[in-house]
Amino acid sequence: MQANRHRLRLSNLPNSIFVFLFVFALASFGVPKFFSPGNLSTLLLQASILMILSTGMALVLMSGGIDLSMGGNLSMCGVVIALCLRDGMHVLWAIGAGVLCGALFGLLNGIFVSKMKVPAFIATFGSMGIAQSFANTLSEKRTIHWEAGPQNRLLNFLGGDVLRIEFGNQASMVLSVSFLVLLTVCVLICVIFLFKKTVLGAYIYAIGENEETARLCGIDTTKWKIFVYMLSGALASVAALLVLIRTNSMQPTSGDGLEFQAVVAAVLGGNSLKGGRGNLYGALFGALTLYVVRSSLTLAGIDTSVTMIVIGAVLVVGMILNELAVRHEKNLRLRTGRG
Amino acid sequence: MEDAARSLLEFRHISKSFPGVKALEDVSIDLRAGEVHAIVGENGAGKSTLMKILSGAYQADEGQLMLEGTPVQKNNPKMSEQLGIAMIYQELNVTSELSVANNVFLGHEPQRGIFINKKEMERRTAELLDSIGVNVPPYTLMKNLSIAQQQMIEIAKALSKNAKIIVFDEPTSSLTETEVKELFRIISDLKKKNVGMFYISHRLDEIFEIGDRVTIMRDGKKISTSLIADITMEKIVEGIAGRRIENIYPRTPCAKGDVFFEIKNLSGDRFEDVSLNVRSGEIVGIAGLVGSGRSEVVKAAFGVDPCRSGEVFVKGEKAPGNNPQKLSRMGIAFLPEDRKREGLALALSIRENSVISALRRLNPLGVVRRRQEHVTVRKYVQDLEISTPTIEKLTKFLSGGTQQKVVIAKWLITQAHTFIFDEPTRGIDIGSKSSIYGLMDELVAQGAAIIMISSELPEVLGMSDRVYVMAQGRIAGELDRKDATQQSVIQLAFSQKGE
Repeated sequence: MQANRHRLRLSNLPNSIFVFLFVFALASFGVPKFFSPGNLSTLLLQASILMILSTGMALVLMSGGIDLSMGGNLSMCGVVIALCLRDGMHVLWAIGAGVLCGALFGLLNGIFVSKMKVPAFIATFGSMGIAQSFANTLSEKRTIHWEAGPQNRLLNFLGGDVLRIEFGNQASMVLSVSFLVLLTVCVLICVIFLFKKTVLGAYIYAIGENEETARLCGIDTTKWKIFVYMLSGALASVAALLVLIRTNSMQPTSGDGLEFQAVVAAVLGGNSLKGGRGNLYGALFGALTLYVVRSSLTLAGIDTSVTMIVIGAVLVVGMILNELAVRHEKNLRLRTGRG
Repeated sequence: MEDAARSLLEFRHISKSFPGVKALEDVSIDLRAGEVHAIVGENGAGKSTLMKILSGAYQADEGQLMLEGTPVQKNNPKMSEQLGIAMIYQELNVTSELSVANNVFLGHEPQRGIFINKKEMERRTAELLDSIGVNVPPYTLMKNLSIAQQQMIEIAKALSKNAKIIVFDEPTSSLTETEVKELFRIISDLKKKNVGMFYISHRLDEIFEIGDRVTIMRDGKKISTSLIADITMEKIVEGIAGRRIENIYPRTPCAKGDVFFEIKNLSGDRFEDVSLNVRSGEIVGIAGLVGSGRSEVVKAAFGVDPCRSGEVFVKGEKAPGNNPQKLSRMGIAFLPEDRKREGLALALSIRENSVISALRRLNPLGVVRRRQEHVTVRKYVQDLEISTPTIEKLTKFLSGGTQQKVVIAKWLITQAHTFIFDEPTRGIDIGSKSSIYGLMDELVAQGAAIIMISSELPEVLGMSDRVYVMAQGRIAGELDRKDATQQSVIQLAFSQKGE
C-alpha cells in the first residue's frame, strides 16, 4: 500500500488536464498559427490573469460560497494602484495599497456572508456593483495613465521578458516569457502551498462539505470563511496588477465579466458550485483551456461576439461531463460497496 | 446511586422545553467508567435531546450536568469536546475529499508553526487505528471507504481527543452483520480502556449483546434504568411502548382477488429471470440477503432502473419499461427505503407532501384549490392516525414512523392499488412499527395488493401471505404462509445457483 501512495495514476489526475490536452491538441492541429511560439507566449500571458482569478474562485467555491465581486474588485484595485502611480507614489506603496484594498473588500464580503448570513451569491453580486462603481467614480470613467519615472521602474522590469528565444524574424516566431508569468507562478505556488501544507485546505473542504460538521469539530467557521474571501479579494488585486502592467495603463472596466470567466474556469476544473469538492490545479487547467479556446477562435477569424457562445457552450458541456464523472464514480461505489 | 463517586457522568434532574413541547422532564441518568449504557425509547422520547445537552448543542432549562463529581457550567460544543465527550452520529460527519488522517485530526491538527505536521498526524492516526484494530492507511481519502470504515474513523477521531465519554447514536443502522461485529469488538476494547459509552439503538437484540445497563425513556421521562441481566426483551418493549404489545403483526385473512401486478422473466444488471406476482388482498414478501437483488428487481419493474429483458403487467395490461410516471399513474405506488431522500420533500409540509403526486387529480383545472386539499389531507391524516398538531407541520420534524405514514398517505391520495414497500420499517421504533403493520393489513383488507421487501425476517414471516426468497439475483423459491419458517427462508436465501 505504502508504495502506491505517490504513484501517478491517470485516473487520479483531475479530468480538466485531459480536457485541456484534448482542446490544446485540437487547436494545434486544427487552427493554423496556433502552435507558434508567439501565439503561445501571448496565450500564457493572457491566461495568467485568469489563472490567478480562478484559483481564488476555486477556493471560495470549495468552501461552499461564490465570489462574484472578483471582476469589480479587480477594476477597483487596478484603479487604486493606477491613481497612486499617477500621483507619483512609489510603486511598492501603490501595489501595497491595491492589495490592501482588495483584501479589505474581501473582508467585507466575508463578513456579509459568514457573519450576517447573506447568501454568498447575493452578497457578492451586490458588492460587485459597489466595487465597479468605486472604480468608475475614482477614475471618472477614464483610462488612467501615469508618467514613467524612477519610482515606478519596477513596472517596466515586470513588464519585460524573463526568457526570450527567437525562432525566426517575425513576431510570431518569438517565444517570450514575461516576468508576469513568473510572478503568476510564484503567487500560485504560494497559494497551493498554503492550501496543502496548512490547515487551510482541510478546513475549506470541511466547511464546504458540511459547515455544521466543521463547527462541531471545533473549527471557527466564521473566521475561516472570512479569510477565504479575503484571499480571493487579494488575488483579485494581484490580477489587477497584472492587467495594469500588461496594458501600461488602467481602464476602470478591465474587470468586466472576468468573474464569470473565473467561475467557468473553476467549474471546468471540477469545482462544484455546491462546495466541498474540487481542486486548485483543476481551476488552473480550466483557465488555460478557456484561453486556448479563445485564442483559436480569434486566430480562426471568428467574430468576438461568437466567442461568448462558444465559452458558454464549453461551460455547459464541461458541467455535463463533470456530472457524468460524478455519476460514474457513484455507480462504481455502489457496485463495489455494500448492497 | 450508592457508588456515585465512581460515576463518570451524571445527569441530575434535567428538564428541557421547546415551544409547545416538554422534551425532557426531570431526567436523572448516570454513566460509569467502562460501561455501555444503552438508552432506548421511541423517536421523540427525548433521547436525542438528552444527548444534545451533553454535547452542548442545547442548554438544559433545569438540572445539573455533573462530570466526575464537578458540575459543568454553561456547556457548548467546544467545551464538551475539551471535557472529553465525543459524539458518533447516525449520519456520519465526514469530509469525503480529505484523507483519513485529516478527518481524524480535523480541527486539532498537530502543527509545526503554521504548517500541518503531516508526518506526525499520519503516524498518530496509524497508531489510533491500530489500537482499535482497523487496517486502513491514514492517507486514504475518506470517500474511498465503506460506511462501516468511515464509522471506525469517527471512533478514532473521538479517541484522538482522548474522549472519556462516547455517545453512539444508532451506529449500526447502515452496517452489515460483519461490520456490526467489528464495531462491537471495538466497543468492548473501549470498555477495557475505561471509556464510558451511551448507546442509542432501535435494535434491541444489540443492546443485549453489548449493553451493561439500559435506560428506557418515554415522552421525555425516564421510565427505568436496570442492569441488562435483570431485564427481558418483553419488559423493554413494554416500557418503550407504555403498553403491552400482544401481537405486533396483525393479520386478518381476507379473500384474494385478481392479479394486480406481475413481473415476467425480468432480467437486469444484478438479477436474472425473475417472475413474481401479487393479487388483490394479498401481502407478498420478498426475502433474501442484502445484495441478493431484491430492491433491484422492484426498482427495475417500477422503471426506475433499466432492465435487459422481461415484462411487467399491471392488472393484465402491459406496462412500459423505464417510465415510473406511467406506472404510478397506472396505480403502482413505490415506497423507497430511503424515505428522507427519495420518499419525501422534507422542507415541505405534510399537506404539500401528501398531495404532491395528485395535484392534477385534485385540481383538474390547473388551479390549486387549497380548501379541497385541506379536506382530502385531513381525512387521510385521520384515517392513518398521523399524530401531528397541524397538517402544515414540515415533514422534516416528524419521526420516522410518521414520515412513512405521510408517504403512504401520498400514494393513497393518488388512488394507488398496488403498494411496493422497500424496508417499510427501517429505522422506525417498535410502537410505530406495529401501527405501520396495522395500516398494511387494512390496505389489503380494502382490496389493495402489497409487495414488501424486508431484511427483517420476523416481519416478512409475520406479515406475508406468500414469500419469495431471492438468492444471487434469482428467485430461489416461493413459500406459502404456512410453509414459511425462519429455517426454510434462510435455507433458500443461502442456496447456490442451480442447486
